[in-house]
Amino acid sequence: MGKSSKDKRDLYYRKAKEEGYRARSAYKLLQLNEEFHFLDNEKNLKKVVDLCAAPGSWSQVLSRKMFTEAQDVPTAEKKLIAVDLQPMSPIDNVITLQADITHPKTLAKILDIFGNEKADFVCSDGAPDVTGLHDLDEYFQQQLIMSALQLTTCILKPNGTFVAKIFRGRDIDMLYSQLGYLFDRVVCAKPRSSRGTSLEAFIVCLGYNPPNNWSPKLDINKSIEEFFSSCSMNQLSISDNDQKLPKWKDGERDIAEFMSCGGLQSFDSDATYHYDDEILSNLKDKVSLDPVQSPTNPPYKKALEMKRNGKLTRAV
Amino acid sequence: MAAQLKDLSHYGPSLCVKFIKSNCSKGDVFAAIGPFLHVYNYKTSELIHRVRIFTANKVHGFNVSRDGKYCVFYGSKSLTMCSIDDLFKFQDISSSERMFTEWIMDATFSANGDQVYILTCYNLVLITDLENNILERKNLLNERSILYSGTIKVLSNAKVIVNAGTVLGGILIWDLFNEEKIHNLTGHEGSIFYVTVSDNGKYVASCSDDRSIRLWDFETGEELSIGWGHTARIWNLKFFNNDTQLISVSEDCTCRLWDIVKNDSSVKLIMTNIYETHLIKNVWGVDVNEMDGVAVTSGNDGRIKKIDLKQTTRYGNELQSFNISKLPTADGLPLDIKSDEIFKGFHWFNFGLVAITSYGKVIKLLNTTMKWELVLSDDRFESYSMTNGISDYSSKESSDDVVVFSNNKCDLLMLKFSKDGKTLTGEQYLHVDSISKLCNCMVVKNDGTDFYIALESPNPRDKFVVLKINIATLEIVHRFNFNKPLNFVSSCLEVFGNRLLVGSRFSTIAIFNLLNEEEIPYMIRRINEGDTITSIKCFEQSENGNTLFSVTNRDGYYNFIKVDMTLLQSHPDVKEDNISIHTIIHSNKVIKGFLEGTLCDGTGDYITYDFKSSLFYIYNETNGYEIASQVCGGAHRQWKLTTLGDDSGYMLVYIKASELYLRRIYHNSNELNTLENGIHGREIRDLSILNQNTDHENQYLFVTGSEDTTVKLCKYDTTNGVVTNYWTQRQHVSGLQRVKFINDKLMISCSAREELFLWEINTEFTNKPYMTIRKPLPTLKKHPDLRIMDFDVLLDCNNTDNFISAAVYSDSTIKIWYYNYSRNEYESCIWENRYETCCILNTSFVQIRDRLYLLIAATDGYLTFYDLTSELSFIANDKQGRIQINEINSIESTSKPVFKIRVHKSGIKTLDVNVLDNGTEFQVFTGGDDNAIAMSIFRLKDVDITGEVTSLIENAASSTVTSCQLFENKNKLLTTSVDQRVRVWDITSDNKLVLKHTKYTTIADTGSCDIIKTDKNKQSIILGGVGLSVWEY
Repeated sequence: MGKSSKDKRDLYYRKAKEEGYRARSAYKLLQLNEEFHFLDNEKNLKKVVDLCAAPGSWSQVLSRKMFTEAQDVPTAEKKLIAVDLQPMSPIDNVITLQADITHPKTLAKILDIFGNEKADFVCSDGAPDVTGLHDLDEYFQQQLIMSALQLTTCILKPNGTFVAKIFRGRDIDMLYSQLGYLFDRVVCAKPRSSRGTSLEAFIVCLGYNPPNNWSPKLDINKSIEEFFSSCSMNQLSISDNDQKLPKWKDGERDIAEFMSCGGLQSFDSDATYHYDDEILSNLKDKVSLDPVQSPTNPPYKKALEMKRNGKLTRAV
Repeated sequence: MAAQLKDLSHYGPSLCVKFIKSNCSKGDVFAAIGPFLHVYNYKTSELIHRVRIFTANKVHGFNVSRDGKYCVFYGSKSLTMCSIDDLFKFQDISSSERMFTEWIMDATFSANGDQVYILTCYNLVLITDLENNILERKNLLNERSILYSGTIKVLSNAKVIVNAGTVLGGILIWDLFNEEKIHNLTGHEGSIFYVTVSDNGKYVASCSDDRSIRLWDFETGEELSIGWGHTARIWNLKFFNNDTQLISVSEDCTCRLWDIVKNDSSVKLIMTNIYETHLIKNVWGVDVNEMDGVAVTSGNDGRIKKIDLKQTTRYGNELQSFNISKLPTADGLPLDIKSDEIFKGFHWFNFGLVAITSYGKVIKLLNTTMKWELVLSDDRFESYSMTNGISDYSSKESSDDVVVFSNNKCDLLMLKFSKDGKTLTGEQYLHVDSISKLCNCMVVKNDGTDFYIALESPNPRDKFVVLKINIATLEIVHRFNFNKPLNFVSSCLEVFGNRLLVGSRFSTIAIFNLLNEEEIPYMIRRINEGDTITSIKCFEQSENGNTLFSVTNRDGYYNFIKVDMTLLQSHPDVKEDNISIHTIIHSNKVIKGFLEGTLCDGTGDYITYDFKSSLFYIYNETNGYEIASQVCGGAHRQWKLTTLGDDSGYMLVYIKASELYLRRIYHNSNELNTLENGIHGREIRDLSILNQNTDHENQYLFVTGSEDTTVKLCKYDTTNGVVTNYWTQRQHVSGLQRVKFINDKLMISCSAREELFLWEINTEFTNKPYMTIRKPLPTLKKHPDLRIMDFDVLLDCNNTDNFISAAVYSDSTIKIWYYNYSRNEYESCIWENRYETCCILNTSFVQIRDRLYLLIAATDGYLTFYDLTSELSFIANDKQGRIQINEINSIESTSKPVFKIRVHKSGIKTLDVNVLDNGTEFQVFTGGDDNAIAMSIFRLKDVDITGEVTSLIENAASSTVTSCQLFENKNKLLTTSVDQRVRVWDITSDNKLVLKHTKYTTIADTGSCDIIKTDKNKQSIILGGVGLSVWEY
């Protein structure tokens, strides 16, 4: 989050700065919770994993909900783990793991930290690099969710909750259908803090309830499709014995229940607010605040520098 | 037969394009567009064949076997193998479509063509036969994490290399058959977007999110060179010319050429050329035809573009240069050029170049010999001179090639040359006494026998002198002494009939009457803010006698100005900016640079030329692509562009650092143009069809508004769905929200920054329609994010070009304006109110009996009604859904909504209204972000509205419903949604919605539609999203 003109436009962005969150996405989780209350019962929130956690705003929310605002359960019994491939600056009460969520070692580490207890809640606000090819982007997002889900099935306790970011594109109903095999209830939730113009939404999967005969097992040499292949949720299974590529058929689809989260009193992320608006009077001060977290290092940092120095120009 | 949804055409991103080497005479370029394959003859640019490959998925890539007999297509999880014969035999081969469980990154044939290798995004390779039987599975142990890119390189039957680009900057190169890692190449930052091995197996080339191209030694894995240049992500790379060159395409709209330069100690990637080939963003695919030196690229804008890689080397004479001190001569003897002598001016003729030096030497260069010769020397033209000419390209025997030199002391020298340029056939010297000093001299040819020389003095009291010269004799036929207008500095010249049009600084034109020199010229002032007019060109005449001129401004604006010549003739007293004499019917700005003029290419496309930084460009404005460019050092130099004699192209002559350059730009359209023009570079947010036949039956005009901030005016054919581009308007500065025709000539578009433009479409000329902003809505707040989300209008029954318009804003503001056409003014904001503090997404007027309501729909999912009846008491409904306006008042309303009902759980994305004939009820149809569509009925009881939702289809779509539109006498509803499904709903008598048809659309991010009735029982539909598709129902 930089210090920019975005300030004026985006109330959630301003609010995040004021309340010390690293990103405005913190409010998405908070608004989901307003509807589902999955972070409100601390007895069911002892072991939590935040996947694809960087820069860490969801971990901040979880940390406040689990530790700052809840006092009944002894701190020692509570564990909050944030996993990401990228490094993350520390957050109070959060154990950060810089690790690959698809690797069995990561699973082992989490189970170790949890003392072999299972998680109550797993979430992922991760998104892959968007290329602009709608089908590819949607596929990669679904694969990211599936790899989060893969780890989740190995650590989530029965009846536990899984929450992840989705993009509501062409094939989202295929994902809903797959999740239906693992959870009692799957809801597509759109928090008011997520822009209406964006395809972004969240799946809230309640009541983890995998098929009886299925035991998930992470294997570094298996793809996600193979991981789920013995579970009936798999769309199409081509086992090692299959000898022919099957004919194309459309996958199983199922439309999840839709829910809007965050009351109508909350800020509308699509609206334009003016300084004299009443709704803004709650925001403390109207001057620009310094960013909470300095911008990250993008892979194209060097190219940017070269462009700034006039080294990347049209003339050869 | 029951009505059916049928798709006729698809325009959208093309991910892969290739030259096909098979001796298939039918076509030689294959391009994947959506789920289709297009086959073109690239020399004629003709579309030979179109075949549907997949049912729903996009074709991401394809390969042809070495013997040219088979091809394999892949995209998403789909794969189809097919013989080339079958490919051409059928229009649809999707019944052969196969699938796998994982995304397919590449699929290619073995060296002998009897097997196919399929690479998935989990680094798995399936080996199959041509009957889809899986023979083997290969992978690299412990390296199964997801790939962002990957290719298979078949070096021989025994040696196949898999190149896998990971998400973390590493590139895994492995041997397919022994499943062993050859290299893990590290150095890139971020995801790898493409990696390939050269044909000789010596190099690996890769690109990543870090915007660099890296060349690696295949044997050692050593990083040999890094290629920087692209300013955004790079998507594709290809080695060519025996692995001595590399071509790359990128998100930065460009295609770049790289030489692989090898010396004793190193190998380097050197960028040698850049081509801007696509609009707005991503170029996805590229291939090269080495033999012809032509590349072809495909992009997100749906364009398939040819690039002449030999733009300056194909014929050998494209670029020639001469140093004045070393001019080659016919007799080998040097011209007596002084050490400080420089070129002062030049003019290109069919036979060659005539130039003048700073010592008054007139020299010529003959095209046939490329040798220079002294013509004459005249010291009156020492140090300061201007050069003009008229070139004769006719086939007649005698030549009309004349060069005119002038100096600031009002001396003129005219020289006429023979057809071959060898002899001087006329010479005339003149001194003009009537002006004190000469600061500008311009020449224009009239008809076969005469030309005009216009002479301007810097003294404002001097006359503007025009000489009519007989070409044959070079004698003065007539001398005009026009009165010079105030604040007038001439810059360009055009003659039309008895009128001389002179462009000036300050975007001003003076039209002089050649029949009456006493007559004060008609002035068109300040066409745009400010800059000098660089060209005026007569374009065409309409049936009713209007003449259309194209006018370019140096600052980048171009305009089409319609002049009623007859009216001008009959009203010699009207002098200034009279709307009935001239009208600007088109105004737009080029993408970049200093606009210098326009050219005709014979196709009717609008061609411009301009300078930007150090480059000179020729640009096809109609279809939005660069035809040619030349690095020349920029606009601040001596330069001149003329046509090449035999209509083969253009000649750019320029001086750079004491060198004179001749740059021939061959107009060999086959190598310069496109196979497919494409549409927008980003999503189409809205579109609207002008429901009125053009001159051609089945052809309609329509406009599109895109996320790329442009508005396009196009035409399409309802029978085959073929789309023709006319204009791309760049007046909006942010992505479009809505575009809509409000009557047969007016259209409104709106976007962020409070932009709401009223456009007028002009269709009186046969060549093409024109469009210009008539009036922007006044803006009040300087809030960059304040978006106008939607609008609705009611036409005034007394004059249907007048209307009231309601606009809804992202800050919950609602405003109603009155627009008067003849005054061209929004007379006032007649009503203003504010809803809540959320973004309003849609609005519609509802007229029922004598009452007028405004319906709004916002992000909160409510339908909300304001009663305007008493507040706008000066507005009365007429029966045809129009209004009658008496006296305009302005009201800042604090009135609350009279009725409000929550219909959707989240934002209402679209609505349509139907007022029933019974005069007491109306229906509202809505589609929401909550995947639902709803039908609600509202009733008027005395003066109150009540109503309820009668039909709510919660899971109408699996994602956001983006548009809905009533059709067939409002008995049916068409909906589009992001799940790429178009649905037709019946509206039953008990007010329910019943799904009638569902059909998949190949347009991703489907966001808009329009539907018109074309026939008694036929509808034509355009769907917009990432691209567009024409359907019929």
